[in-house]
Amino acid sequence: MRDRTLKYLLVAPAVFVVGATAVWPLAESLRLSMHAGRLSRPDFPQGFVGAEQYAWAFLEQPAFWNSVGVTAAFTFVTVALTTLLALCFALLLARGGRFRSGVQSLLILPFAMSPALIGVSFRFMFNPEFGLFDAFLGRLIPGAADINWLADPTMAFWVVVIADVWGWIPFLTLVLIGGLASIPRETQEAAEIDGAPAWKVFRDVTLPQLLPVLAVVIILKAIFSLKTFDLVFMLTNGGPGDATQTLSHYVYFNGFKYAEFGYASAVAWLMVIPMMVLTYFYARFVFDRA
Amino acid sequence: MIGGRARRRLLEAGQVVAILAFIAIMLVPILWIALAAFKRHVDVYQLKLVFTPTFENFARVFAEPYDLGTKLFNSTIVATVTVLIAIPIATAAAYAFSRFRLRGQTLLLVVILATQFVPAVVIVLPFFLMFRDLGLLDTLTGLVIVNLAIVMPFAVWMIKGFIDGIPVDTEEAALVDGSSRLQVIRNIVLPMAAPGLVTAGIFCFIIAWNEFLFALILTSREAVTLPIGLALFKAEEGDLWNLMAAAGIIIMVPMFVLALLIRRHFVQGMTMGAVR
Amino acid sequence: MASVSLRGVTKAWGAVKGVDDQSLEIADREFLVLLGPSGCGKTTTMRMIAGLEEPSAGDILIGERRVNDDLPKDRDIAMVFQNYGLYPHMTVRGNIAYPLKVRGTPTADIAPRVDAAAAQVELTALLDRKPKELSGGQRQRVALARAIVRTPKVFLMDEPLSNLDAKLRVSMRAELKNLSHRLQVTTVYVTHDQIEAMTLADRVAVMSEGRIVQLGSPERIYNDPETLFVASFIGSPAMNLVAGRIVDGVFSTTEGPLLTLPPSAPVRAHDQVVLGVRPEDIGVVAPGDGDIDATVFAVENTGDSVLTTIRLGAETLVARSDRYLKTVIDERIGLRCSPDHLYLFDGPGGKRLR
Repeated sequence: MRDRTLKYLLVAPAVFVVGATAVWPLAESLRLSMHAGRLSRPDFPQGFVGAEQYAWAFLEQPAFWNSVGVTAAFTFVTVALTTLLALCFALLLARGGRFRSGVQSLLILPFAMSPALIGVSFRFMFNPEFGLFDAFLGRLIPGAADINWLADPTMAFWVVVIADVWGWIPFLTLVLIGGLASIPRETQEAAEIDGAPAWKVFRDVTLPQLLPVLAVVIILKAIFSLKTFDLVFMLTNGGPGDATQTLSHYVYFNGFKYAEFGYASAVAWLMVIPMMVLTYFYARFVFDRA
Repeated sequence: MIGGRARRRLLEAGQVVAILAFIAIMLVPILWIALAAFKRHVDVYQLKLVFTPTFENFARVFAEPYDLGTKLFNSTIVATVTVLIAIPIATAAAYAFSRFRLRGQTLLLVVILATQFVPAVVIVLPFFLMFRDLGLLDTLTGLVIVNLAIVMPFAVWMIKGFIDGIPVDTEEAALVDGSSRLQVIRNIVLPMAAPGLVTAGIFCFIIAWNEFLFALILTSREAVTLPIGLALFKAEEGDLWNLMAAAGIIIMVPMFVLALLIRRHFVQGMTMGAVR
Repeated sequence: MASVSLRGVTKAWGAVKGVDDQSLEIADREFLVLLGPSGCGKTTTMRMIAGLEEPSAGDILIGERRVNDDLPKDRDIAMVFQNYGLYPHMTVRGNIAYPLKVRGTPTADIAPRVDAAAAQVELTALLDRKPKELSGGQRQRVALARAIVRTPKVFLMDEPLSNLDAKLRVSMRAELKNLSHRLQVTTVYVTHDQIEAMTLADRVAVMSEGRIVQLGSPERIYNDPETLFVASFIGSPAMNLVAGRIVDGVFSTTEGPLLTLPPSAPVRAHDQVVLGVRPEDIGVVAPGDGDIDATVFAVENTGDSVLTTIRLGAETLVARSDRYLKTVIDERIGLRCSPDHLYLFDGPGGKRLR
């Protein structure tokens, strides 16, 4: 068989699978978003309402805006914290040698825990009666032991943030270590010889060369933060109240607790837009390097 | 002013301390959960560090009503079947993307890349409706279908990365010698790419194993997987942390082992080639 | 401008010794080349002078001052790296200016000095380009300019020409020679290319397995090698080396007697010996007129000379003659070895017999 035909045949199954399992549902979701209807109604879907549900979200649903706010705050804080901490740890670990390599291997372990598992674990550890962190922090900061972490809206938000940051630091650290390793050592040594102290070597030579990888890290983490569901579901289930209800959770709630399929789809599709923007930038990095 | 060499030693010691602190923060929660799995409920409640371990929790989670054994079975089947389907399909496509130039190749690759970033909540609703109509709710088949959606982009990109790294010379020599393209793929590329295929397979297995949202929505009784089993403990608030920890260990430990196996390719896989 | 001294310097990683208890005195303004194959310790030695590696033992002095505890930035040195080590995100101007900027030179002084350094290596037209837009030779000149923009005590150069193509290497050698003459700065230069060593050095330190095997001017290294290793490393084509024994003043190989040694030979008898003679010291004559008769195995005309190769059993000898020699494969010829240019080395140890 000629290569010309073969190559399309080789690609076809994958394209079919991706099309059927991802592209079609996306399109279908868009269609759903333009119909109002409840799951329980026998004549579902009910009727074409165009963009009404989108408008409804924007104009009449404070809960929607709450979720937007929670998601935005969550994304911003987790991206900043995780990136900063991961950069510090990457700098500490990048130097090589048996000790550091061993530690790098250990970094895989936290990552093999799924977000759901992390959510449960942190709920366990912040339990006000027998949680490990509750006891630990209670001993460090007076009065902290009295806080019911997951019952207080602000505290609950921060617990979710901490859990998320904890879960993603190992992965981002590994990525940044890889990025640091790809910087030619000669450029850093040249700066040392030219007269730069260690912090200037970092600022003038290492950091500028690390920027592409940093950008990848930030975009990736932003995408993952926007998508967060498992962690929130297991840790706080959106609560207390809706203090930690990210957009994903909001969609889930409306779709499966209130059975508002159309509305949920509409909100879900609203999430797709920032995703696509981020994906565009991410793809640029992937293809630039390829 | 401390002399150069002494100063360097001090800095190094400080760094080691910082690294140890970091590792402690990363590992202590895991260790704590692991410990809880072996505690009786009383010990959990009292925050005991030294205690008499018991395997009772593991026995209980496998029994009714939690029935972790079935969930373990479901998770294994779903993850394995997903990988067995995804890897061959992804390999074929990855080879084509790597060695040939197709029309619209960049677009296709971007679309495949993009589907990885679509939030699961967006596509779970259509799947729910479709499965309901097709009778696929609460079936392992249904779970395999949705997991395919999630793993394919990773599989295609990871394997493409591996195949890109294999020099073309051997294939071209074989083609000149008279092999057909398919023979080249079977006899030359697959053996050389085997480590990469295994790595991608393990990676996808981990993803499918830990998948949560789809399993939550699309199963209810028969096809429940391990992570959702975890959620079932949650319903009984507060009392059963030791059981939950035991279940957590059963979920975690296989993934630790697998992750260690592929740790060298981890970064490349997750970032899909954006970082080497 | 300063001298450089290494006293008992060792660099060991566990049991492996990269540099083994070496001492070396480099005079002010001297151009010293560290020459040797990969892994001989030459780069490690230079990196210890630079402060990029810490010696396991011994002292390093720059200008009479012990610098073991000094960071590279405090040693007042400049270095040109094998891959140039240019800052990819800065322009050429930024690269050259960096050593001045980072040491706090007043801004007003920076620009003229950068321009002067760029002019010295003919980079003035490229000052606003980025390194990735430059060719290899141009990048190398940026690295040079960055090194000379200050006036350091010592220049260190780590195989700076090895990434250039052959033609460029030759022209850059001449430029380097001229530049170093004008700047008059102590230079330590690392290379594995013996031609670079011969042409650039005031003195050459030939290194092998962590030790300096011979230290001397290029002429001495070439004409008076201390060991088999030095003799075979220097010279292109390499010195002819034949193993055998000497009995009663006659050198024999396993094939039989080969050559009668001249009266000036250092020994009349020696059991395991290696005879060395350079290609240019062997003349091609009619069979019977020379010391050895043989059949031509190969003839190579390099344009400026003719290389004739003959086989003696398992050994090969190459003779270099002027370009007018006419000879063909399988022709019987005679070889005459210049008696003043025969070298004898002890077989097992490799030391030169005197």
